Amino acid sequence: MSKLKSIKWKHYVNYILVGIAAVVFTALSFAGELNSSTLVLLEKVTIAVMLAVSLSLVVGFLGELSLGHAGFMCVGAYLGGKAAVLLQPSLGEWPALVISLLVGGAVAAVFGVIIGLPALRLRGDYLAIVTLAFGEIVRTVFMNADEDLFGGTLGLSTPRFDKHYLFIIAFVLVLLCLWVSQNIIRSKHGRAITAIRDNEIAAKATGINVTKYKLVVFTVSSFFAGIAGVLYSYSNTTVQSDVFDYNYSIAILVMVVLGGMGNLTGSIIAATVIISAQVFLQTGLTGDLAVLQNVVYALITIVVVIYNNAPSLKGFRDKYNLGNLVKKFRKPDPASVHDDEAKWDRVPTKIDMDEVLSTDIQPSSPFTPDKPDKGAN
Amino acid sequence: MFKKVFAVVMAVAMMLSLCACGGNKGADYTAENTEYVIGFSGPLTGAAAVYGVAVKNAAQMAVDEINAAGGFDGVNFKLVATDDMHDATKVATNYYSMLEGGMQVSLGTVTTGPGLEYTNLSEEDNVFFLTPSASGDDIPANDNGFQMCFADGNQGKVAADYVNSLGMTKIGIFYKSDDAYSNGIYKQFKENLKEGIETVEAVFTGDAQDFSAQISNLKDCTFIFMPIYYQPASVFMTQAKDIISAKAVYYGCDGFDGLAGQFEDFTVIPQEVSMLSHFDSNATTGAAADFIKKYTEKFGTDTLNQFGASAYDCVYAIFNAMKAAKAAGKDVSVTISATDLCEILKEQFKGDFSYSGVTGDDITWEDNGYVSKEAVKYTLKTAN
Amino acid sequence: MEYLKIVIDGLSIGSTYAMIALGYTMVYGIAKMLNFAHGDVIMAGGYAMYVTLFLHAPWYVALAAAVIFCTVLGITVEKVAYKPLRGASPLAVLITAIGVSSLLQSLAQIIFGSAPKMVGIADLGNVTIAGENIPISTFVTLGCSTVIMLVLTLFVKFTRTGRAMIAVSEDRDAAQLMGVDSNKIITITFAIGSALAAFAAFFMLMKSPSLTNAFGAMPGIKAFTAAVIGGIGSIPGAMLGGILMGVVEAVALKFPLIAPYTDAIEFLILIVILLVRPTGLIGKKRREKV
Repeated sequence: MSKLKSIKWKHYVNYILVGIAAVVFTALSFAGELNSSTLVLLEKVTIAVMLAVSLSLVVGFLGELSLGHAGFMCVGAYLGGKAAVLLQPSLGEWPALVISLLVGGAVAAVFGVIIGLPALRLRGDYLAIVTLAFGEIVRTVFMNADEDLFGGTLGLSTPRFDKHYLFIIAFVLVLLCLWVSQNIIRSKHGRAITAIRDNEIAAKATGINVTKYKLVVFTVSSFFAGIAGVLYSYSNTTVQSDVFDYNYSIAILVMVVLGGMGNLTGSIIAATVIISAQVFLQTGLTGDLAVLQNVVYALITIVVVIYNNAPSLKGFRDKYNLGNLVKKFRKPDPASVHDDEAKWDRVPTKIDMDEVLSTDIQPSSPFTPDKPDKGAN
Repeated sequence: MFKKVFAVVMAVAMMLSLCACGGNKGADYTAENTEYVIGFSGPLTGAAAVYGVAVKNAAQMAVDEINAAGGFDGVNFKLVATDDMHDATKVATNYYSMLEGGMQVSLGTVTTGPGLEYTNLSEEDNVFFLTPSASGDDIPANDNGFQMCFADGNQGKVAADYVNSLGMTKIGIFYKSDDAYSNGIYKQFKENLKEGIETVEAVFTGDAQDFSAQISNLKDCTFIFMPIYYQPASVFMTQAKDIISAKAVYYGCDGFDGLAGQFEDFTVIPQEVSMLSHFDSNATTGAAADFIKKYTEKFGTDTLNQFGASAYDCVYAIFNAMKAAKAAGKDVSVTISATDLCEILKEQFKGDFSYSGVTGDDITWEDNGYVSKEAVKYTLKTAN
Repeated sequence: MEYLKIVIDGLSIGSTYAMIALGYTMVYGIAKMLNFAHGDVIMAGGYAMYVTLFLHAPWYVALAAAVIFCTVLGITVEKVAYKPLRGASPLAVLITAIGVSSLLQSLAQIIFGSAPKMVGIADLGNVTIAGENIPISTFVTLGCSTVIMLVLTLFVKFTRTGRAMIAVSEDRDAAQLMGVDSNKIITITFAIGSALAAFAAFFMLMKSPSLTNAFGAMPGIKAFTAAVIGGIGSIPGAMLGGILMGVVEAVALKFPLIAPYTDAIEFLILIVILLVRPTGLIGKKRREKV
């Protein structure tokens, strides 16, 4: 595999993945081969993928922990839904859809900027709790807002889009979201963003405009969360605020973490598998068995996270990695460097000043100008 | 890379395993049925599980009884209980999986939030539902939906009429502001309350457990209207028992049912407690007492509440309506489609069909789906 | 007079938050992880008390049983779910903590059913101050959380284990090099945190005796917020944050117009405080190293 080829493959794998799925399911849908539960599942999966990809920008690439992603979605769902309610009778279904998507995304993006501002001052877990607080504030405000405006505790009644088309629109929007995300990540801006993640102070020192990039990432991420919210309002007939609690944000975070930090393909796959598994458990375990759903799901999550992340299992993981089977038959590919995959198991970068000083002054190896260091030029 | 491909294959396989690719145009999901399938979606797990489990148990009990007595012309009923965790996002999945699994008639949902979603979904396919406990005013908005419980708005109105008749000048209201049930009753209550009655309000949200501040607000009231469920009510009463006047009256709606079971000794609460409801789980006479005896023998007292009683009635009401339709010459067979059965049942429920059961006698339904039966004021305990 | 009553109501609500926040802050300060399952350990402690009281044991036996049960549960959870991830991404630990939380809640529902259980611990009655009836349990909870706070502070400052905890929290690797068994210290931290959860369960049930499997979830989040307001990792900070949250809640609930927004107001205060003081009210400022 040549270097050029492998880079191309890597860049397009997400589009190919989502594109194939979109084409296959659209074809099946037009052939009348998809029943309603599959269509609903497709809506859920595409919305989850969009949420996971957009959250991945903040958590996986910028390296900030956000527990309020559902809050942005809530903003999008309520405002996009409201726009749809107001516009659909006069403008018709499709123009109303486009406008409400823009409205929902734009307002969510504004909130993204507002939440991006504290992110400039707060680090790590403190930012996490602020985003969680933001999510809870947003849904409380929508719940208590005027009943004629947003429906109060009963939620806002929104028009439902024909489910034979909605998932196709969702697929298109997922592709758009991927296109925007990948173009940011794979540019020099993306490298600046990952530099901030890896070491904010060092990034600042090299002249990267940390403020700008943090705000950009939060804005883009919340824009797509808002879009996902609008899609949610179109796939359901009511938007109820208690849906968007912090547990929802955490559910999205689980997708990002299981998919691998800073790995968009992983996020897409994890979102698909998790939603499918939940639906599988929900429809499979009914009646008296329903109580097992959460037990099974929680146990699987714990086991998978430990298996994927435990440092002590690293040897085991390497030994039984499925990739090894293929590697035997393939020459190692030097180009397959995972430049956008975060190495979260690494110890945070610290330059130990003592070590630096002690290597500089070493009495046993005096400085010899005749023999310059091999690496220097 | 191989790992990724493997993961993709896994993901696709998982999704495909869920796609029972059958085609939905004119699909006849009930063609293979050998039993009549009744479905519902309710919180079988999570914070509201006690209500969903009560409905599941009682409905199953009714189904078992009907089957033991020979079923519907020798054909048995089957209950499918799906779990929505009181989460509106899970309803669509439950609804379609039940529908595609051959559901012909349903009990809708147990709670209001998910019920609003169910109302709209079931209208598209015209599937009949008679909900035991989703009491939102908009639940029977479409003509395929009916309620066995009182709608929230009606409860609020009846409660306001009662309070108006008492001739008081100042009352307290304690409600849960983020709950559709509590809010729905509160709004109509407030609207129908006579002018000149001063109200002191206190609210709580979420799973609040310390009501000191609310009790301080309400401590001078001698009549407190509490449209809330029994669990927070029991906590409120425990915390307020020595602070609010012993001569005060706590007045609740059907959510109060089950309150007495929360206390080892209800007399620790000095105040009078009464409620307006269709069922009292301490009843000692009539159909309610029979139900309580049967239910507690099977499932204990833990989940005994009006949700179950109402669900039990729902199953029997549907069964009786089907029998009445058959007697009137309608074609009811085991493979009848949900839509056809819906038309038949709608006609019955909007007609002069009436039902007497655990939660009332001569229950009839209005054309808009609301139930019409007597609301009884139960005094759960008198002042000490 | 009215204001005094609001403050007392606030103390009543806040003392519970403070009690839970102490457990949160201990674990966070030393193990550096958000233990989302802390609220559910409280719930488990509640059920342990329910079982012992059901067997007609007196309240102190029930409390002891809950402390032992929670400690064992905390250590088990730590060993099984968190320890394998030591050195891995903090996010991975966060996810397993959430998994553990959901697992404990589901198991509680399977074992004890979904109906709320009444756990009558002890009715201490009321005391009348300036014409107001005030439950004695308010003062007991407040007093006990203050005592626990002091004991914890002294423990951390003056005992060998406590100082080892500080060392581990400052720099785990360095502590390890200085001969501190950081794994053991973290396990001890979890044991203490879980024992505190049992105390929290005791005082919560004393006030509000209705126990369900969601018993600890919401107070857990509120208390976590309180711990962050106070400066997470700081023991007096947790106490302060808890009391502050309680008073804010009591004030908000006083006015029917803003009462439905109580949670939002609390979270808004959190955001404002963190914007002014990014590490909480008495949180330590850490200089970032490059």
